[in-house]
Amino acid sequence: MWKRLLLIRGAELAALALLAAIPLMVDNSYVLGLLTLLAIYGILLIGLDVTVGYLGQVNLAQAAFLGLGAYAAGLCVANFDLGMLAALAAALVVGLIFGTLLAFPALRLEGPQFALATLSFSALSATVLNEWEGLTLGAQGLQVSRPPFLGMTLDAPEFFWLCLLLLALVWIAMRNLLSSQWGRAFEALRDSPIATDAMGVGTYRHKVAGFALASGLGGLAGGLYAFNFQYLQPQSFGWDLMVILLLGVVLGGRKSLWGALVGASLIALLPNLLSNRGLFQIFSAIGLLIALAAGGQGLLKKTTRPFQALAPVVAMGVLMVGSLIVENTEDWRKAIFALMLFSVVVGLPEGLMGFAARFLTKLFHIEPPRLPTPASLDTVLPKRTANGGALLELRGLERYFGGVKAVDGVSMTVRAGEIHGLIGPNGSGKSTAVNVISGLYVPTGGDMLLRGKPLPVGSLFKVARTGVARTFQNLQLFGELSALDNVMVALKDVYRSPLPLVLLGLARGEEKRARAAALALLELVGLGGQARSLAKDLTYGDQRFLEIARALARKPELLILDEPAAGLAHPDVNKLMEIIKRIHERGISIILIEHHMDVISELCGIVTVLDGGKIIAAGTAEQVKRDPKVIEAYLGVVDDPAGAAAPAQAG
Amino acid sequence: MYTLLIVQLAVSGALMGMVYALIAYGFQLTFATSKSINFGQGELVMLSAFFSLTLIDRGLPYWLVVPGGMLFGAVLGLFVERAAVRLSLEQKGEGWILLTIILGLLGFSAAENIWGRDDRPFPTPISSDPLHFFGIDVTPLELSVAIGVLAVMGLVELFKRKTLLGKAFEAVSADRDAAQLMGISATRTIQLSYGLSGLVAALAGILVAPITTVGPTMASVLILKAFSVAVVAGLDSGFGIVLVGLFLGALESLTSFYLGSGWREAPGLILLILALAVRPNGVFGKASIRKV
Repeated sequence: MWKRLLLIRGAELAALALLAAIPLMVDNSYVLGLLTLLAIYGILLIGLDVTVGYLGQVNLAQAAFLGLGAYAAGLCVANFDLGMLAALAAALVVGLIFGTLLAFPALRLEGPQFALATLSFSALSATVLNEWEGLTLGAQGLQVSRPPFLGMTLDAPEFFWLCLLLLALVWIAMRNLLSSQWGRAFEALRDSPIATDAMGVGTYRHKVAGFALASGLGGLAGGLYAFNFQYLQPQSFGWDLMVILLLGVVLGGRKSLWGALVGASLIALLPNLLSNRGLFQIFSAIGLLIALAAGGQGLLKKTTRPFQALAPVVAMGVLMVGSLIVENTEDWRKAIFALMLFSVVVGLPEGLMGFAARFLTKLFHIEPPRLPTPASLDTVLPKRTANGGALLELRGLERYFGGVKAVDGVSMTVRAGEIHGLIGPNGSGKSTAVNVISGLYVPTGGDMLLRGKPLPVGSLFKVARTGVARTFQNLQLFGELSALDNVMVALKDVYRSPLPLVLLGLARGEEKRARAAALALLELVGLGGQARSLAKDLTYGDQRFLEIARALARKPELLILDEPAAGLAHPDVNKLMEIIKRIHERGISIILIEHHMDVISELCGIVTVLDGGKIIAAGTAEQVKRDPKVIEAYLGVVDDPAGAAAPAQAG
Repeated sequence: MYTLLIVQLAVSGALMGMVYALIAYGFQLTFATSKSINFGQGELVMLSAFFSLTLIDRGLPYWLVVPGGMLFGAVLGLFVERAAVRLSLEQKGEGWILLTIILGLLGFSAAENIWGRDDRPFPTPISSDPLHFFGIDVTPLELSVAIGVLAVMGLVELFKRKTLLGKAFEAVSADRDAAQLMGISATRTIQLSYGLSGLVAALAGILVAPITTVGPTMASVLILKAFSVAVVAGLDSGFGIVLVGLFLGALESLTSFYLGSGWREAPGLILLILALAVRPNGVFGKASIRKV
C-alpha cells in the first residue's frame, strides 16, 4: 500500500524536480524553449485525453481551443492591458465557454457525428480568426507582448517555471477529478450512455462538463502558448497541429496523465527528430524493431489478429526504407506522422505508457490499493417496511411503434413489498412496458403513478432519481470499469462534495465510504472476490449479478429485473433466486420479467401475463398456469385443455 | 439586373453543390453497410484527380481517362477498407475514425511529394463557353458536372435494386446480422461499398478538377462541405443529398458575394453543427429507435 503510494508519488516528484532543475544546469535558450513547449503541450494533452481517453470520443477541436485561448490572452493584453494571470484566466474561461457551447449541440452525438461536429468547429474558428481582421489582424499575424506576472517581468526560465507550475497544478487537479466519481462517470458514459442515465448518473452534465474542461485546459495552454511565442497566426492552429496532438495522446497512452506527459515530450521533440536524418534513421529502426517484437509476441501468444501484428511492421518498414531513400525528411512530415500514428493505433492501442505501466507494475511488484472492509448491509440498504399499499400503478398504458401496438392498454398495480411476475411469450410487450416505465420510451398514452404521484416520462435519468432501478436484458455494463467501480458509479446519496473540493482532493472521505458500501453490495450478489476484475472480463453469469448489484446501488424502492435468468446455467439460476430472495427480504419491491416458469412460481406472489401488448391473465402463479388463455398464448389452441401441460419453460 | 446577378450566383453555386452531393453520396454508400465513413475521402478525391491528370499527360483520350481514374479511386477505396476500417469493425470499435484520418494524411503527403504542392490546370474537352438560358450563363462544363453526378448516382441505385449483388448490398444495409445468417458475407459487402464509394469520389474529382484546378489541397474545403451535405440531409437520406447539395452550393455562393470569399465555408459549417444539434439524423433521415 505504502510502497505503491511512495513509488507513484515519488516518480511524479522526481519528474517534476528534474524538469525544474534543467534550466539551472543548462544555459541554453533552445533547450529552454523545448521545455516550455513540453509543459504547454502537457496541459493541452491532459485536456485532450479527457475527451479522447475518458469520454472515448475523437475530438478534433483541441487545436482550435488552443488557438482561441491564445488569441483571447493576446487580445486581452493588447486591448485591456491585463496582467499575465488575468489574461491566462481569460484564456481558460474562453476555452470553457466555447467548449460548453460546442458541447450542447455535440451532446447527443456519438462517434463519427461527434468527430464531425468538432471538425466543423475547428474549421469555423479558423475562418473567424482569419477573416475578422479588425480584431485578429487575420493572416498577417498578431504580435503579443509578455505581460508582467503579479508586477514582475518574467524571463525565459521564469516563464518556464510558471508553465511547469501550472502543469503540476493541472496534473494534481485532474488526478483528483479523474479518480473521483467524475472520472468514473466519464468512463461509464463512454461504455453505455443508456445505463449511465438509467443509473441516475446523468450523461448530460458529465459529457458537457468533461468536454468543457478539456476545452478550458486547451484555452489555458493557448494563453501560455501566446506568451511563449509572442506571435500568433491563425494557421498555426489548424489541421496539422491537431494531428500532432492526436499523435501525442495516442502514442503516449490514453487515460493516463503520464501518457500525456510522454506524448507531450515526443511531439515537442518531433521537429528535431525530423530535421536530423541520421537521428531519424535510428528512430525508425527502433520503431521497426518494436513493431516486429510486439507483433511477433502477439502472434505467438495468439493475443492479436494477424493484421494487427503485420500492419504496423509494414508501416514501420515503409518508414525505415523511406528514411534511407528520402533526402529531405521534412517534406514527408505528414506521411511520417501518419505511419507512426497508424502503427500505434493498430499495434499498440494502449500507447507507450499503458504498455510501460503493466511492465513496471510487475517489475516493482506494486500491489493494487487494498480494499476497505465492506460496510454493513443495513447502512447501505436499510430495511424498508412494506405496507402492501399501491407502489406503482399503470393505467391504460400504451406504446405504439408506427402501426405496431407493442403495449396496448395495460393497467396493473404493483404493491409495496411484493415480487410481481411479468410473463408472456416473446414479443408480448414485456420489455417495451419496462422500457416505458423506466423512461427509455415515451408512452403513447396512459398514466403511470409511483406512490400516487405521476412518474416522469421519457427520461431514464429522471425515473432513476425517483427510486426505480432496473437491469437490462441485453447487458449494459460499463465494460472497461472494474466490478467495484460499476457499483460505485451508480451509488446514490454518497457524492455530495462540490467540484472545487473534488479538484482539491478533499473528497476522499466520501470516496472511501462509497467503496465500502459498494463492496457490501458486491458481497450481497456473491461478487466480493471479483471487485477488481473488469466488468467485461467477468463470466456471463457474474455479469448478470453485477447488473443487479449496480441497480441496488440506487437504493431503489422498486427494482425491475428484465429477464435476469436469460442464458444462465442451472446453478446460476439457483444462485439468482437466492439473491432475489435476499433483496426481497430488505423490503424492496420487485418486478420480475422471466421466462423460467419455475423461477416465477417460486418467487412471485402475483403474476401478470401479457400477450399482444394486452393483459390476458393475472393472479397467483398456480392460477395463471391453469388459465386457458395463457396456455393458448404459449402453446396455441389445444383440443383438450385438461390434457395440456402447463408451460414449464416456455419461450 | 441585380436580381439576375443573384440568380446567376445561385445557379452556379448550386451546380457546384452537385459535386458536394456526389461526395456525400460516397459517405452514404459506406454508412449504409457499415455505419462508418472515410474521413480521408477528400484525399481520395484529390489523388484520383491527380492520377487522371497523369493519364492525360501520358496522352490518353478523355473517354479512357474517366474510367481509368474511377478504377483508381475504387482501388483506393478498397485499400482504405482493408487497412483502416475492417479491423475496428471486427472489434466493434470506432478506431476507424482515427485510422481513416491517418490514411488521408498519408495520401496528402504522398501527393505533395509525388505531384508537387502547386495547383495545376486539368484539361478537358468539354467547353467552358457559356450558354444562355433566360439571361443566365451556364457553361457546358458545369452542366457536365450535374449530368455526371446524376448519372453515376442513378447507375449505382439501379445496380443496388436490379442485381443480385446489389440486393445483398441492400440486405446488409437493412440488417447486417440477419443478412449474414442468410449467407451474405457482410465483409465482402462492406468491401464493395468502399469500392463504390471510392469510385464516385474519383468521378467527383475528375468532374470538379477542370473548375477548381488540381492540387493537394483541392479537396480540403470540398470535403467539409460534403460532410455538411451528408449530415444535414442525413446519412441514410438517399436522393435528399442532391437537394441539400444544391441548396448549400447556392447558399455559399451568395455568402461569398455578400460577406467576402473568406466566409464561404462558414454557412456549411454552421449548418452542420446546427443539424447535428437539432436533427442528428438529418432533414431527410429517419429517426432511429433506441433499443436495449
